Amino acid sequence: MSKKKLIALALAVTMVITSLTGCGSKANDTTNTKDAAQTTDAAATKDSTDAAQTDSGETVTIKVSLWDYSNLAYYKTIFAAFEAGHPDIKIEPVEASSAEYDDLIQVKMASKEDFDVVFTKGTPALSALVAKGHMLALDDRMAGDSDFNKDAYGGLTEQLMLDGKTYSVPFRKDNNLLFFNKDLFDAAGVAYPEDGMTMEEYRELAKKLTSGEGNEKVYGAYVHTWSSNVNQFARRMEEYVMDDEDKSSLLPYYKTILAMQNEDKTIMDYGSLKASSTHYSGVFYNEQVCMLQMGTWFINNLFENVDFNWGVCSIPNVTGEGNTKAVGGVTPVGIGAYSKHPEEAWEFIQYVTGEEGALVLAQSGILPGYSSDKIMEIFDALPEKNAGIPENLSVYLNLDTYIIEQPMHPQGREISKIIDEEHDLIMTNSISIEDGLKEMTDRVNELLGR
Amino acid sequence: MSKTNTVSAAPKKVNYARRKNLVAYSFILPNFIGFVCLTLIPIAFSFVLSVCEWDAGNASAVTFVGLNNFKKMISDSTFLISIKNTAYYSIGVVPCTLALSLLLAMLMNCNLKGRTFFRAVIFFPYVASLVAVAVVWNALFHPDSGPVNQLLTALGVQNPPRWAASTVWAMPTLILLSIWKNVGYYTVVYLAALQGIPRELREAATIDGANAFQRFKSITWPMVTPTTFFVTIMLTIYTFKVFDIMYITTQGGPGRSTNVLVYHIYNKAFISLQFGYASTLSIVLFAIVLVITLLQFRVEKKFTSYL
Repeated sequence: MSKKKLIALALAVTMVITSLTGCGSKANDTTNTKDAAQTTDAAATKDSTDAAQTDSGETVTIKVSLWDYSNLAYYKTIFAAFEAGHPDIKIEPVEASSAEYDDLIQVKMASKEDFDVVFTKGTPALSALVAKGHMLALDDRMAGDSDFNKDAYGGLTEQLMLDGKTYSVPFRKDNNLLFFNKDLFDAAGVAYPEDGMTMEEYRELAKKLTSGEGNEKVYGAYVHTWSSNVNQFARRMEEYVMDDEDKSSLLPYYKTILAMQNEDKTIMDYGSLKASSTHYSGVFYNEQVCMLQMGTWFINNLFENVDFNWGVCSIPNVTGEGNTKAVGGVTPVGIGAYSKHPEEAWEFIQYVTGEEGALVLAQSGILPGYSSDKIMEIFDALPEKNAGIPENLSVYLNLDTYIIEQPMHPQGREISKIIDEEHDLIMTNSISIEDGLKEMTDRVNELLGR
Repeated sequence: MSKTNTVSAAPKKVNYARRKNLVAYSFILPNFIGFVCLTLIPIAFSFVLSVCEWDAGNASAVTFVGLNNFKKMISDSTFLISIKNTAYYSIGVVPCTLALSLLLAMLMNCNLKGRTFFRAVIFFPYVASLVAVAVVWNALFHPDSGPVNQLLTALGVQNPPRWAASTVWAMPTLILLSIWKNVGYYTVVYLAALQGIPRELREAATIDGANAFQRFKSITWPMVTPTTFFVTIMLTIYTFKVFDIMYITTQGGPGRSTNVLVYHIYNKAFISLQFGYASTLSIVLFAIVLVITLLQFRVEKKFTSYL
């Protein structure tokens, strides 16, 4: 064979091979990176590798899917403490950006990623994973494990059930409260808000606190652009659930909030907030708003960012019910259906959602799913270390009735989307409240085939 | 490669053309394999998926559902709204961009002082990153503190439009943004066509006493018809597959007022994980674009037959 021909043939063959491997090398790549990750891990902690090498196969690495791992110190603290107590289990955190996490985890689980532990950002995302069979049921483990204390979660594990099974344990939970700037109240000479406000009282209070014009304007209250910032008033009173056949229970709440926006101008305009993608924290930090309705995670933001005095009280409602019930979202954590080490994953979940993990969260001002006197003492001790924090926070954090904002529902994500879209229309005055709620009702019913 | 002499001196007579073809194919092959794996197979697969249900899990979970997806589509209110919105967007963007880019190209084609500078100015929005443009656009058209509305208020407009925060004005705002962003590219396309028109034609017409409008009507417009068709087809396809602008600025809102077809497909596929249904919608999109393009080709043949 001539040499030129040989060269041409060789070239062609190389090209075919490189392009083929270019297309199909994904599996190899991932194993390679995994190996690489393991070797770096091994290099970092020489002692444990030695141990692993001597009794080969004893050390298990569990893959944990989560978001914001690099930004949040408490994850690292909890994980390190867990690894110290469990020398035979190593944790491999797999991180994704917070904004895309919900979508990403759906796609990853659909392609059967072998995540052992899966954190989800809330009940709609978890429900979608469960509905597709991507999560393991934990009921047998919970029942068979004497270390697991169901009561410490205040009935949350029951609310996290779907089709009679539990797939997750609440890592974090939040109660939505009305945060207020005490300094601004004092300056306006208005008494601080108290638990059990009616919607009308809330509206009047906001009027008294609103002052100034233009950039100097101080708004009495702030309602963020999430639909939950209106419907959680009704949800807390259990007057409303997102898959309700009739959404008219939201009517009085939309009426008050829209009146505050359109007539009183005591809250910032919804369309304006959306157009400028305003974040709720900035306006409160800069003392542009007196009252802000937000989840308890805001406690942590506040003691890190502000030096004015602030307080909390329960959110208002039509009947004037006081601080009797909590409403908010949870951060559930469960075992992936394609996990290779479910036993170790359960051990890990128990740790992070148990007292040890909860203590670390509470010290950062984050409300854990797990509740105990010890945890509450930490919150009550916060004012000792940080100025401006109100006393007796535990009164608002340790309630007997805790209502999950969006209950478990296989089509929860789609229902929320409809509710958000109609909320958008109502709040931008594109549609009357009655028509908006009717459309919301009809579309949810259409989706659920009712 | 110094051995080439020995090769040409080789006694064996090989079919030269065939060998040349083989070498050529071997160069095309990598790209072709990429095309087959990443484009052709997925497209074929989406045709299959359009009559199936699939949540992007393993392939064995694909279940055949016949024409159910098409039935579902007809009663899907968001689909109907998104078709309407896409058509609205297309009708808003295509004629305006076309007319504006032709006008600008004609201006740029004159002996205007500093026209190189203006060409750069017109082309700039096309090169600018959409994300950056959208952020600036949002600030300009902010319903309360935006310069546009402040100007309108100063000019005495009582209730200026609330732009992206209103269901009525959200789509026109995006149409405006798209026109501004794309007009530069099509201006360049038209400019090339205009420069291809022989100068003698216009000179002769001028000598015969034709005014500017007559020259445009009888010389410029007919001479750029093929470009006009190219631009129309490109713009139509672009407007039907638009997604990025909505994703960045309004997320389909307020309500569903800027929810276009591809945005709906994205939601169904990657938010609801209904890949079967999303494929059905993609097939419909494909069919719509195909029909429109075929129609345009028909019309083109009729109008450019003199060439």
